[in-house]
Amino acid sequence: MKKQKETTINKDLKTALAELLSGRDARGMSGEPLSGRDARGMSGEPLSGRDAREISVDMIRNVALFDLSDEGTYVKGCVFLTDTYLGIVSGPEEPLPEGQGRKRGKAPEVIGGPAQGLPSRIDRISFIELKSIDDVRAERLFASSLLTAVVAGKDTFVAAFTGIHTPEMNTFIKEVKAVLGSAAGGRKAEEDNETPDGRRPGKDTGDANIKVEGAEENQKKDVKSEPGTEDAAPVTKKRTIFSRVFRYFLKYRISVVVLFFTYLASALISIIWPYLSGKVLYDGVIGKNDEFLADFGLEGEYMLALLVLVICMFGARVLQHGVQILQQYLVARVAAKTVRDIKQDIFSSMGDLSLRFFTSKQTGGLMTRVRSDADRIIDFFLDGFPFLFIHSTTIIVTFIVMFRLNWQLSLLAVVLLPVLVILSVKLKPALWTLYGKRHRAERSMTSKVNDNLTGARVVKAFGREDEEATGFSKKSGSLETAEVDIVRYNNRFTILYNMVSEISNIWVWIVGVLLVIETKSIDLGVLVTFVGYIGSLNGPMNFFSYIFRVWTDSINSAQRMLEIIDAVPDIREAADPVHLPEPRGEIELEHVTFGYEAFRPVLKDVSLHVHPGEVLGIVGRSGAGKSTLVNLISRLYDTDEGTIKIDGHDVRDLAFKDLRRSVAMVSQDTYIFMGSVADNIAYADKEASRDDIIRAAKLAGAHDFISAMPDGYDTIVGAGGKDLSGGERQRLSIARAVLADPKILILDEATSAVDTKTEQLIERSVSLLAEGRTTISIAHRLSTLKNADRLIVIDGGQIVEEGTHDELMEKEGIYHMLSNLQTGFLSLEDI
Amino acid sequence: MEDKNINLNFFESEGGFLGAKLESRDAGHAPEGSCGTYDRVRAVRLFPFTDPAKYISIRVGNETGEELAVIRDIAQLSPDQQELIRRDLELNYFMPVINKIISIKDEYGYAYFHVMTDKGEVKFTINMGGNNVTKLSETRLLITDINENRFEIRDIHALTPSEQRKLDLFL
Repeated sequence: MKKQKETTINKDLKTALAELLSGRDARGMSGEPLSGRDARGMSGEPLSGRDAREISVDMIRNVALFDLSDEGTYVKGCVFLTDTYLGIVSGPEEPLPEGQGRKRGKAPEVIGGPAQGLPSRIDRISFIELKSIDDVRAERLFASSLLTAVVAGKDTFVAAFTGIHTPEMNTFIKEVKAVLGSAAGGRKAEEDNETPDGRRPGKDTGDANIKVEGAEENQKKDVKSEPGTEDAAPVTKKRTIFSRVFRYFLKYRISVVVLFFTYLASALISIIWPYLSGKVLYDGVIGKNDEFLADFGLEGEYMLALLVLVICMFGARVLQHGVQILQQYLVARVAAKTVRDIKQDIFSSMGDLSLRFFTSKQTGGLMTRVRSDADRIIDFFLDGFPFLFIHSTTIIVTFIVMFRLNWQLSLLAVVLLPVLVILSVKLKPALWTLYGKRHRAERSMTSKVNDNLTGARVVKAFGREDEEATGFSKKSGSLETAEVDIVRYNNRFTILYNMVSEISNIWVWIVGVLLVIETKSIDLGVLVTFVGYIGSLNGPMNFFSYIFRVWTDSINSAQRMLEIIDAVPDIREAADPVHLPEPRGEIELEHVTFGYEAFRPVLKDVSLHVHPGEVLGIVGRSGAGKSTLVNLISRLYDTDEGTIKIDGHDVRDLAFKDLRRSVAMVSQDTYIFMGSVADNIAYADKEASRDDIIRAAKLAGAHDFISAMPDGYDTIVGAGGKDLSGGERQRLSIARAVLADPKILILDEATSAVDTKTEQLIERSVSLLAEGRTTISIAHRLSTLKNADRLIVIDGGQIVEEGTHDELMEKEGIYHMLSNLQTGFLSLEDI
Repeated sequence: MEDKNINLNFFESEGGFLGAKLESRDAGHAPEGSCGTYDRVRAVRLFPFTDPAKYISIRVGNETGEELAVIRDIAQLSPDQQELIRRDLELNYFMPVINKIISIKDEYGYAYFHVMTDKGEVKFTINMGGNNVTKLSETRLLITDINENRFEIRDIHALTPSEQRKLDLFL
């Protein structure tokens, strides 16, 4: 489906380009020798005499947009490919698009960035004959990329572009290479114009988002970085955030409805109260108003009326408190449950995300999200949202009653309200920014703490406690500033609202007393009631003064939370995955290219075939791409190009469950979870029997040290438990992998932290283990690999040597050198 | 786990320790060099909390502590053999079980326990800062005092509500 979409986009683009080419003004159009910079480097014959107008849709094989000029300014332009030449079209320099300079304090609504699409008119056009091109490639600059061509042996600038265009440029380059017939590995040109590139993880497009959003919240990077989902995941609007969060509460709708009625009840009581204590008490009972009392059949019975009134008032108070208690109970219940649901959702979503997500974020930030954001969200929805209705109703009803009591006084009371509303709306956006700022300050402080706790050993070893403390005080200082700013800002609301209510109050008193004394147009009771009502408005008014900030805070948190829940993992299980009930353990890599960044491949066109049951050793310098290779096999990342097959099936088609069951990896960074040793070993299979656990531990050389601990296999390890040494952790991880009983066992420097004796022990076990399973072992210490059936040497992202130990020694290549270095080193040590 | 081809016989050594005689039923099969008589062996629980009577590792009582065998279930042994092993285990795993909490006082980072255990009344002190109260399961606690003595609470729900409240601080 995705491919189809890309195809149509590209088709539209081609049509548009053909139209543009045919309808342009004459300047520079017919491939006249280009002036200045454009001509520079275009040593390919500039196609004099060729009229670009002749280019029809059918001739255009592929189009890719670019958005930077060779001077690093934004332009609109495109490169296109026909059977015989490569064309470069660019428009005039683009001014920054509207909305780029955002209004202060406003949340970004539109993703800006360079305007995309074809230029509206052609400013320059040039051509390079394909036959003069030896190669094309993309080069990664710091924050943008270049498309360069080797024309007649010289590197030639073709175009520059930002990350937005990386995927299409990639496709374009592949197409050009295919046409040139020089594609790596001699793959033949593909008939299909659009080399499918849908699988490519969208890491590059993220750059473009950073550019526009970095100022506000660069956290979005990962969320929106999936190409093809951009339209599916529009910029989160505050309104939709609201409705999505609201859905969490619907699960507890009975409680919520009851809660709503309790709010309503307390609102009613607060409306009745001034009436009882004002008009009824003063004018009815104390004023001995028989006419009024007659309505209740109590004319003349003043004491009885007073008694009834007191009972009513008392009842109202009791009811009010009862309702409040119920309310508090329900709020606590719903809040706790919803917070738990939200946290659970965030936690599960995090689990689904691919490794790349975690390596690109501060853990402190993620922890803040799980911990405090959920709480903040609830604040508004339970402390704010229901009251919004209640208080609005209270205010409206109160005003109606007030107007009926005396409209002149009422008018005085409300005259300032519009001012209040306008000012509130104006003040709000800045609050949004402040809350975002506080979150970032908090995140960076949490990260600092986390960092220091994890790295306590290093901090102590280098005696940097004071510097770390200073660093911390800076972070916590900025949190302090952020908090103070918020309070300062909130005070504006409070002052504003209080002023309005105080001024109204004073006006009403002055005018009211004048009315009572001078004109006697109203009774004292009415005035007291009236003032009572104004007083009862204080609560709702105060509420509105603070609801703005709670709302802003809450939605701000909700947005961050939804980012995680919405984030699309780069690595997803195929829709209809292939199952591997009985894996054989065959691995095949076909022309695999992969890089963590665009155009910086760590592995270049690697092909490898590992037979079932083979023990393969991988050797190479640090950073050569060894770990990357095995990470790809277990699909922690997806390849950029080429495929990896297990038992003949593309790993991208395999069900996660089967893939993880078939491949177990012991990596350099061993992680021990909180729990007992037995739990840790049985991590992959909670049902494992004690016999299995002990057997796995024995094979991994872990049994003896485990038995030596007082609590044996019941020892609690991990955070807060017993501290294990590096070697012990590694052996536990190996035991974990052994117990998983995978068909493919990957040992990535798995024995780097154990002593030679233990290593030998493990090696012996591994060779026992290797029986009937494919083992890939990466090691720095070459002696570890002497039992391997075959060794490959990786250097610069490619397999440079392959063979058995003896064969490689004979070759006198890198392996020979590394081997000599190590044995030489060892023999020195022996002296 | 337990090798069917070896025979392990326990006895009480002259020094009052647990001894064991390891012999092979099938001459060719026993682990080389480990056959023989050991005057001192140690019984080690592999799962001291979750399965105290099973998976007992029998190790040589010297520094290397080489493993001679793992007994999957001591109930399979003859009663007198079981008794020998139990005695050794009791000694190795001295850990009073707390039945009743008389008082817990916490002050300046230390907690002072006064409890009744299956071995008698005990007063001990733990450091509140460390992880000295370990939850073995939802209901089971392991408490380590400042002198590395260990106490166990098998089931916190078996304690009275007021005793549980005293423990709340640690849960």
